[in-house]
Amino acid sequence: MKLTRRHLTLAAGMMTAVALTAGALIASTAQAAPATGGAAPAFAGVTAAGGEISLADFAGKTVVLEWTNDGCPFVQKHYAAPPANMQGLQKSAAADDVVWISVISSAPGKQGHADASRATELTTSRGAAPAHVVLDESGEIGRLYGAKTTPHMFVISPGGELVYDGAIDSKASSKVADIAGATNYVTAALADLEAGKPVATPVTKPYGCSVKY
Amino acid sequence: MRGIRSILTALAAGVCLLAPAASAQLGGPERYAQSELISERTSVAPGETVFVALKMTMEPGWHVYWRNAGDAGLPPQLILKDTSNIPAEALGEFLWPLPHVLPVVEGEIMDYGYDDEVVFTLPLTVPADAAGDVRIEATADYLICEAVCVPETQDVSLVLAVGEPAVDVRNGDLIGAWVSKVPAPFPGEARIDDAAASWTLSLAKAGGFPEGARLRFFPFGHEISHPAAQPQRAGPDGASLSLTPDRAGKVGEALAGVVRVDAPGAEPVGYEIRATRGSVLAGTADRAVADAVVAEAPAALGLQGLLALAGFAFLGGLILNLMPCVLPVLSMKALGMVSAAASGHAGELKSHGLWYTGGVLVSFAALGGAVLAVREATGFATLGFQLQHAPTVAVLALIMFAVGLWLMGFFELGTSIQNTGSGLASRGGAMGAFFTGVLAAVVGAPCVGPFLGAALGAVMSQPAPAVIAVFLAMGFGMALPFLILSFVPGLHRLLPRPGKWMETLKQAFAFPMFLTAAWLLSVLAGLAGAGAVGWTLAGATALAFAVWVARGGGTIRRVAALTALAIGFGLPAVQANVPVGPAAGAESVPSYAEDAWSPEKVEALLAEGRPVFVDFTASWCASCQVNKLTTLNTARVRDAFEAANVAFLVADFTRKDPVIAEELKRRGRAGVPMYLWYPAGETQPRILPELLSQDLVIGLAEGG
Repeated sequence: MKLTRRHLTLAAGMMTAVALTAGALIASTAQAAPATGGAAPAFAGVTAAGGEISLADFAGKTVVLEWTNDGCPFVQKHYAAPPANMQGLQKSAAADDVVWISVISSAPGKQGHADASRATELTTSRGAAPAHVVLDESGEIGRLYGAKTTPHMFVISPGGELVYDGAIDSKASSKVADIAGATNYVTAALADLEAGKPVATPVTKPYGCSVKY
Repeated sequence: MRGIRSILTALAAGVCLLAPAASAQLGGPERYAQSELISERTSVAPGETVFVALKMTMEPGWHVYWRNAGDAGLPPQLILKDTSNIPAEALGEFLWPLPHVLPVVEGEIMDYGYDDEVVFTLPLTVPADAAGDVRIEATADYLICEAVCVPETQDVSLVLAVGEPAVDVRNGDLIGAWVSKVPAPFPGEARIDDAAASWTLSLAKAGGFPEGARLRFFPFGHEISHPAAQPQRAGPDGASLSLTPDRAGKVGEALAGVVRVDAPGAEPVGYEIRATRGSVLAGTADRAVADAVVAEAPAALGLQGLLALAGFAFLGGLILNLMPCVLPVLSMKALGMVSAAASGHAGELKSHGLWYTGGVLVSFAALGGAVLAVREATGFATLGFQLQHAPTVAVLALIMFAVGLWLMGFFELGTSIQNTGSGLASRGGAMGAFFTGVLAAVVGAPCVGPFLGAALGAVMSQPAPAVIAVFLAMGFGMALPFLILSFVPGLHRLLPRPGKWMETLKQAFAFPMFLTAAWLLSVLAGLAGAGAVGWTLAGATALAFAVWVARGGGTIRRVAALTALAIGFGLPAVQANVPVGPAAGAESVPSYAEDAWSPEKVEALLAEGRPVFVDFTASWCASCQVNKLTTLNTARVRDAFEAANVAFLVADFTRKDPVIAEELKRRGRAGVPMYLWYPAGETQPRILPELLSQDLVIGLAEGG
């Protein structure tokens, strides 16, 4: 009997079965999310406007990533008008030539999932002003950044460095009334960047609903 | 269906926010939890401290959060609305009962909390000047979640008469029961070792933890990654958990939180700990403890995998017929059959064939049952994957070596069993045929070695029906030749005659055994270092010595042989268990420039514009070795890779590695091998087939 490749393969089959069973048994799941101070992970995605954008398109500009889900009470808190907190941040970002990207990572059938027309409708009806709304229904970009909650905010410097990762502000609550007295970390990070200073608070614990991957 | 329900719930939640009164019309409950303030007393004395509690009853599937909600969510609060009757400081903090994990997205988002019913107890200090009654007017303010989250509030109140203290027995019992679920201070020492990339939390306590206990650490803060698994080790004095730090996770002076202990057959117990920084406590990390998740949900083999296994088992059963311990039985019976056929008992013959098959199948089913019973009794399956457990690998290597010695004819096994069996089998009729089947299975059992061993390894973690199915397939393979003969007696002429060739064949089977042992040793070297291999080889020598001594017979020699045997198996198992640092062991000699994989490395290489090939491999993965042999380590592939400036990265999964596990999971793979190909300038890899070919790989290199 000639020992061909096929035979080897066959012999390997059983051991492979063992190995595969084992692999499936291994339940270790550490997050390999990016760290602030390092390069922001490159991503590309389709937008509600129908185009495709990638992080590289905005080299040289400050970029804000906002994870959002319109059904989440914490997101509703920041979009509630008045005070229209999130919309205000988006407008002032636009005025400062900061690229604001809202990312919707809800999977199809899950809360907050939006196709292009629904996402556009949401932007209009809420008076929102993000530069782009990225439709990430596979959750790929969300997982790439380790987005855990809605809202979960990231700020990327013009040099492509991740300089802020965390909550939108300092008061973890779903009450609109708490916005006024809270420190907004995104505003603070953008101000530090603008002033050419290192971001004073680069990491906070995000609060909100879980991202509906 | 679930989608529609989620949308409805979301709608309900939205409407609920805008117009609370309208939500009831949608058919959903007005709230997903009912809150109530209760007290252990109906009346209280001025100045005393009593316990009151916020009792929450949730709709099925909905949950509220612990003091640390985890990755998402918020803990419930009780806010005093009216401080005219009692001051705000009269109410103390919640006593948080032991929470459980709420895996929101398996492996990615983890919350901590409660479902069904929870009682948050808090102390109430009755004002010294209280008179008439004490009124608590408060708002329960909480986030409650299922697939979606809804913030809810409910006004709650409690009136306690001031006067002679009187007990509320029913609520007092309830509060008492929930206070007993509040984690107690840890009666021992807790340390956190944050020197390495993954931290070790060690907990030492007199008497250690109960056998089979599974621990989980719930931090008060966010120093660690909440969804990460917490691999556990244990020792005589306690246990330790390996924790994955959060991105920005740092241990300050100490790491504080709660450890939940789930022991089999016992209510979960919680301890509040404050682990100071320091090295791992002795006697808490001697051996690995399987992950409870593994025990609960062993990955079931797909139907295809099961069929393949059963196929191999069937082949193994067929080959058993050629074994020197089985063939003589068969030949005798076969000759008997010929004479029976000649004297016109062909019909009886067929029934004998069926009885024989029945005997074999019953025996194999019994063997399968015994294996399952042993698995239940020892929890062997919960050890997780055996080839990542050094002592098991060492003992397996020794068993393979011993089977090899036996195949070589160094010693005899089971002759007395064969003699007992042959008495029964020599009876005539259906019973005789049945017991011949049993006998063939029993005497065949020692020959099963390679086949049964491999099949066992594969099915050990499978559900019981799969285990039995594989054993029955092997039994059927063994019974088939005789069954065919009994229906077509003329075929017996084709049966090989028993003779010296059988012994030769048996001896030949020894070499695959020795090779398997050698391969297991190489796995062991990767797991526990060269020292463990040395000890295992010494153990093998002790085994050979035991066989040699026992040959002479006599009590003294037997005792000496047993001692040598015990040492032969015991020492390597103990020595292999000594944990080695990640630096030791597994230094495979690279056949050409290859580098250890990391996500950052891939990124860096891609940034340089080089194409990247990633080999996710493990020394215990046979198809990985086949691919190396046939493809990756060949000169053609090597030259092609060099010509195309391909960066070759190796992710070695021989030992569990959370980063690699995460990457495998992200790509939808259950295990190794996995091959990723990043063409130059592309950040998204192609996942290559599990079995590679030179043409495929070279085509990629030349194309990219």
